Amino acid sequence: MKLNLTVQPRFRLNFRPLVWVLLALMGIAFVIAMIRFANGIGPVTNLSNAYPWGFWISFDLFTGVAIGSGAFVMAAIVYIFELKEFQPLLRPSVLTGFLGYIMVVVALLVDLGHPERIWYMMIHTNHTSVLLEIGICVMSYLTVLAIEFAPVIFEGLKWEKWAHLLHKFIMPFVILGVVLSTLHQSSLGSLLLIEPTKLFPLWWTPILPIEFFISAISIGMGMIILESSLSSLYFKRGLELHLLEKLGRAVPVALGIYLLVKFVEIFIAGDAHFLFTSGLMSLLFWTEILVGVIIPMALFSSKRIRQSANGILISAIILLVGMILNRFNVSWFAVQHADPITYLPTFMGNNIHYWPSLSEVLVSVGIFSAGILVFGMAAKYLPLFDNEHPQHAAGD
Amino acid sequence: MTEIKHHAYLFDATRCIDCRACMVACSVENNIAMDKTRIWVAGIGIKGEYPNLERGSMVYHCMHCEHPDCMSACPVGAYTKAEDGPVIYNPEVCIGCRYCMNACPFGVPHFDYDKGIIDGAFIDKCTFCPQRIYNGQEPACVQTCPTDALEYGERDELIVKARARIAAHPDRYIDHIYGEFENGGTSYLILSHIPFNELGLPDLPAEPISEVSEKVMEMTIPFALSWGAVLSGVAAGVHLYNKNKEEKTAAEENTEATK
Repeated sequence: MKLNLTVQPRFRLNFRPLVWVLLALMGIAFVIAMIRFANGIGPVTNLSNAYPWGFWISFDLFTGVAIGSGAFVMAAIVYIFELKEFQPLLRPSVLTGFLGYIMVVVALLVDLGHPERIWYMMIHTNHTSVLLEIGICVMSYLTVLAIEFAPVIFEGLKWEKWAHLLHKFIMPFVILGVVLSTLHQSSLGSLLLIEPTKLFPLWWTPILPIEFFISAISIGMGMIILESSLSSLYFKRGLELHLLEKLGRAVPVALGIYLLVKFVEIFIAGDAHFLFTSGLMSLLFWTEILVGVIIPMALFSSKRIRQSANGILISAIILLVGMILNRFNVSWFAVQHADPITYLPTFMGNNIHYWPSLSEVLVSVGIFSAGILVFGMAAKYLPLFDNEHPQHAAGD
Repeated sequence: MTEIKHHAYLFDATRCIDCRACMVACSVENNIAMDKTRIWVAGIGIKGEYPNLERGSMVYHCMHCEHPDCMSACPVGAYTKAEDGPVIYNPEVCIGCRYCMNACPFGVPHFDYDKGIIDGAFIDKCTFCPQRIYNGQEPACVQTCPTDALEYGERDELIVKARARIAAHPDRYIDHIYGEFENGGTSYLILSHIPFNELGLPDLPAEPISEVSEKVMEMTIPFALSWGAVLSGVAAGVHLYNKNKEEKTAAEENTEATK
């Protein structure tokens, strides 16, 4: 006997008017990107020689990759641990991951000085470069996600045979996907290993890659909850609250491990005195820890909150906000480049204290809008939340 | 001039008069606009209290590290370290990711923010004037320096020279040659009368800072293989366990049914 445990939301939001807003935002981003390709990065951004990486890297690369982690977390739960009951959450997570990574690549194409040379990473390889590893992993993982998601498209096209064939050989790709995710999620942290003089000691540690990987797991769970909840509000589908509740039980464990690792490292490294004495840096650190770790730990520990659709959604949003702040801290706020007052004459970079320009933010917003739009179209035209063919859902 | 095995610069902050002729010489020699100069001079201002006043200026320049972080970080290997000293950037393969600018602890590489795709935006930094040093000449900045604050020569000889200078005037110099060991050694050595961090130079350990990430990168492939094996093992184990359990329950149901 099959129980239907899904919850129907009390009210629904309409996706259609949102489509025009999304299209307009995409158009604005496209125009700005064209100006950037014609005239250079300088005219549209506040990036400078003092701050070569800014909002695009923090938001599109660091945050984009982090929130794409739902795909590998869900793939591991469903395939490797064979918790088949979580099946209904798999397809949307894989799609979110896939779109997230495409957005990362699109944003990088705007940010790179020579986007037409991005494939040089495959022929001119420097094996000591962390960025190379991330590049290769993201390219390979995009392929894996495409393979994991292909059965949904094949089903939409009624190519049942192909969907079935792919389903049969999905396991090696799932394992490859989890390995690639582990590598590049942690390597985003490794990117900063070469900047011990620039990244504030509360964040710089040789185990940054480990911290990034552990936090990616809780971010993945938060994203699954967020994206299931929102899509049940916008599209005609129920919410698998009983599954989210179960998933939510694991969140305090993952966050607890992260908290422990982080603080033990800070005390061992002897950076504990920075915790309360470094002004803005201490404030950013504690905000990140409170909002991203301690508050969500408390919220997800309460059964009453986990069992309420609103409660679990709000807890997930709080978790994500705190964790995204962590990514911004590591890649931007806590990075102090070579002392600009004595080091760089003003004509070399008039933007000594970096803050993104409006057009930088609009490009990221436009790319993000495209992702939401494609997700909406997939929800409408593909069997994304459809369990009519449970034998090979999202590759099963 | 004898053949130089390891080219290096020596900068003596006590001799620099902040005239900025080196910037002009570099700009002329390499045909680059003054607002994109590869060398820049900063006056530190007046320090101390009357009557013990000190002023200093610093010539910033690519340090030509022995273990360049830009080279370690570059995903496409656009940087090379020549055996005889210079760190060389190759625009032919550069993808414009600007990771080298983040990696360099001295903030040396600069980027063409004002150029689009067609003009081609590249990184620029000191080349060590190969067109001059391999033809028996000094680099342009050194040749033009009126006070010999900038000198050029064999790295070992310059270190000996710097030590002798400190020994001759211990009251004038800080007893340290910046760049002898910093970041695994650099080919731009600095002598100073004011603390190096006040010149805007970072405190760097003798161990190259790229060491940590390079060690992590070495572990990547072995880790990926063993992690893949562990995951396959777990997946197979879980699968067998579930299958076993299913068969057992099926068998139990069968026996119950026959009873």
